[in-house]
Amino acid sequence: MATDTDASRVEGFGEVSRVRGIAFEYLSLGASVLGIFALAVLLIYVTIDAFDLAGANPLWLLTYFLTLVVPFLGFCLYSARDPTLTRRAVAVGGGGLVAVAAVFTAIETFVGQIPRLNWQLTYLFVVVVPLTGYLVYMGARGRPGSVGFGLIGRLIGGAAIGMAFSVLFLVFDERLWFLVYTLGVVPAALVYGYGHTRDVSSALTAALPTAILGTLLAVFLRPIIDTYPTTVFIYLWTLAIPIAAAGALVVDARSSRPKAVLAGGVPLGLAAVVGLFGRAIGLGVGGPNALLVIAVAGVPVAVYLDRVFDVGEGVIGLTLPVLLIAGALAGAAVVETFGIPTPSPWVSETFLTEAPSRNATEAGLYPAIVGSVIIIAMVAVLSFVLGVATSVFLEEYTADTGIVGALTRLLQINIANLAAVPSVVYGLLGLGLFANLLGFGFGTAVTVSLTLSLLILPITIISAQEAIRSVPDDLRRGSDAMGATRWQTTKNVVLPEAFPGILTGTILALGRAIGETAPLIMVGAATTVFSPPSSLFSKFSAMPMQIYAWANFPQAEFRYGVVAAGVITLLIILVGMNGTAILLRNRAERGD
Amino acid sequence: MSNTETKTEPSDSLITTDVETESNDRTAPSHRTAVAARDLNVYYGDEQAIDDVSIEIPEKRVTALIGPSGCGKSTFLRCINRMNDMIEVCRVEGDVEFGGKNVYDADVDPVALRRKIGMVFQKPNPFPKSIRDNVAYGLKIQGFDGDVDARVEESLKSAALWDEVKDQLDSSGLDLSGGQQQRLCIARAIAPDPEVILMDEPTSALDPVAASKIEDLIDDLAEEYTVIIVTHNMQQAARISDRTAVFLTGGRLVEYDDTTKIFEDPEEQRVEDYITGKFG
Repeated sequence: MATDTDASRVEGFGEVSRVRGIAFEYLSLGASVLGIFALAVLLIYVTIDAFDLAGANPLWLLTYFLTLVVPFLGFCLYSARDPTLTRRAVAVGGGGLVAVAAVFTAIETFVGQIPRLNWQLTYLFVVVVPLTGYLVYMGARGRPGSVGFGLIGRLIGGAAIGMAFSVLFLVFDERLWFLVYTLGVVPAALVYGYGHTRDVSSALTAALPTAILGTLLAVFLRPIIDTYPTTVFIYLWTLAIPIAAAGALVVDARSSRPKAVLAGGVPLGLAAVVGLFGRAIGLGVGGPNALLVIAVAGVPVAVYLDRVFDVGEGVIGLTLPVLLIAGALAGAAVVETFGIPTPSPWVSETFLTEAPSRNATEAGLYPAIVGSVIIIAMVAVLSFVLGVATSVFLEEYTADTGIVGALTRLLQINIANLAAVPSVVYGLLGLGLFANLLGFGFGTAVTVSLTLSLLILPITIISAQEAIRSVPDDLRRGSDAMGATRWQTTKNVVLPEAFPGILTGTILALGRAIGETAPLIMVGAATTVFSPPSSLFSKFSAMPMQIYAWANFPQAEFRYGVVAAGVITLLIILVGMNGTAILLRNRAERGD
Repeated sequence: MSNTETKTEPSDSLITTDVETESNDRTAPSHRTAVAARDLNVYYGDEQAIDDVSIEIPEKRVTALIGPSGCGKSTFLRCINRMNDMIEVCRVEGDVEFGGKNVYDADVDPVALRRKIGMVFQKPNPFPKSIRDNVAYGLKIQGFDGDVDARVEESLKSAALWDEVKDQLDSSGLDLSGGQQQRLCIARAIAPDPEVILMDEPTSALDPVAASKIEDLIDDLAEEYTVIIVTHNMQQAARISDRTAVFLTGGRLVEYDDTTKIFEDPEEQRVEDYITGKFG
């Protein structure tokens, strides 16, 4: 900019035309805005359909706006502690209301009716949602805000991971896991811990063989032993206790022993009590899944609370969940008292927990959600392991010259080409190879997971290669010069440095896998199943399949309401999964 | 072990006085050879990088390799710990003897060789790990069974970095300044207690103050280690080295003698021209 004005002021240098540059700048801006705008309109309509907002009473919207949204925005502004920001937020909120109402009414009067929108909803999506997003961003920079969002993130993220675990145990044998854990994981961890504290390197090397031996023993003993503890006790012993112990260790390293016992013990105790006696004492929840969710969410929350109290700043932010719950309850009370009609959203508890139905109001997505979660877990593990192994081999081990070099280049070109092969073709491959030849069955979890892993493998490999290539050669040479073997250099220097990049590629690729429909149709996954899968070889469906099936139903309720609800659920799970992975990656980048 | 303990700061402890009695008198000629090259030729593809070099580098002395860019001095340095193996087009003929053995013999494992020869690079390259893990890296990969923390402390003291970082051993090595990073790399190189330390222009990416600290450090290191340093800086070579080898274009070793002799009364006219800055 400065050069622009200088050039015009200084005589004798002439002028340089920047028209093309400026035209290009605005064209690219226009292209990106157009794309985002189109997507935003689509998402707004899907949201309106999924939550039945078109039929929502304006008073209902107003009530929740006042009890839930306004206090939340207030919290963000309090956290940001910036008077200018507060003034601007109020101005945008108020001015936006007037502007949106005026423009909307003008369009309705002079142009024509806009379907399924009114000015209140327009205000909600055009002003309130972006404003909230911005204020969350600004609020998170203040200490109370970051504490509050950190707490909510751990609560929701922990609960989601807990539920994902419980879903995985629908198809994986928890009794086998119990044996593997008891005979393999625990002894290996003990051996490793002994080696670590006493500095005995032979013990460290013995840990892995111990684990493998224990696992083999477990697989061998599984059909022989026939009495097992109940699922609650298996979860308690194999998941809740180690998670609590890990949390306690974290706190112990940071502050004191008593706090560590509290941070591990309180959530563990709570999980055990609710899991074992929840239903008996009339809590309404209980059983193994409740235990899992409370343990997985509770321990990180306890560790986080310890840190927040330790730092002592922004403790007030811990009230954010209370604020939100109180807001929701107050809104419900007001709606109840004044008899304001409430909308009936398609995304409801029934939708998330019931099986599909011919009747739109009873239709549920539960079996498909379970199917998708299982597929994604398997695809993530398979494609990550295979992708990282392949890319490490290609980048670190093969030669660049000679016959090997030529073969590597050929392989490289083919991997790049495979990334561009249409997914239907992968479906065909899965059908021929996994379903028919290897006999994993049509549309089973194994067949689908293997097919989708193959589908995203090229993308995973290419992005992992990029990440590995971007590790500076200086570091490799430094490690080599210390007398490290190729493997030691790869393991200690290259992979830790490339890990965030590898994870980014895997996240993007998984996003593609979770939404794929064509290969699922090809390998014969069911469009609709009525119960969640009970093993890896049972028939099952996935979210995109179910949504696709609903979209073909003749009833308008399905095509508008139920499909929209399915899409929103799929997007929320996708965003949640990506968000968790990105948070993990950022932690890895910071190196803590 | 004992040798890393003995060469901490001069004022440090009783051990230091022990050392002073049997101190390494660097003005006297060293009676032992640490590294020797015989008829060494190195090619990158068809291009010859080192032309028939023979040299004997004395133990526990600082030997500087100087010469204009592209004269093969860095290549020679990398021949000693076989880092040239990493370059696929590189071909080595002749012998490089270390510890009485030709390092290019078929039965020599280059990885094992590099564990006896430390190396410091031109650009500081600490690993993106904590300071402690950086220094302990060599110990870790070699399966060291002793007290790692003590070794880390010793090495950092030897690298004159301990006082600056002792309270932040767990923070990242990348948070240090350039000069500190280079001293960290030196600490990393000496932690596994090698016999020879190779330095490839270790101060050329640093400011003069940081560079002079490294120079002081090299002087101290020569008490216990054989230091071979490539440098572009003539004054540096004159200040810190006991022996100087001058390479000129084409990878030929033109003159090799005591540093004072090279800088005050070189045999070859070309060496004098180079040292006085008439070319190069």
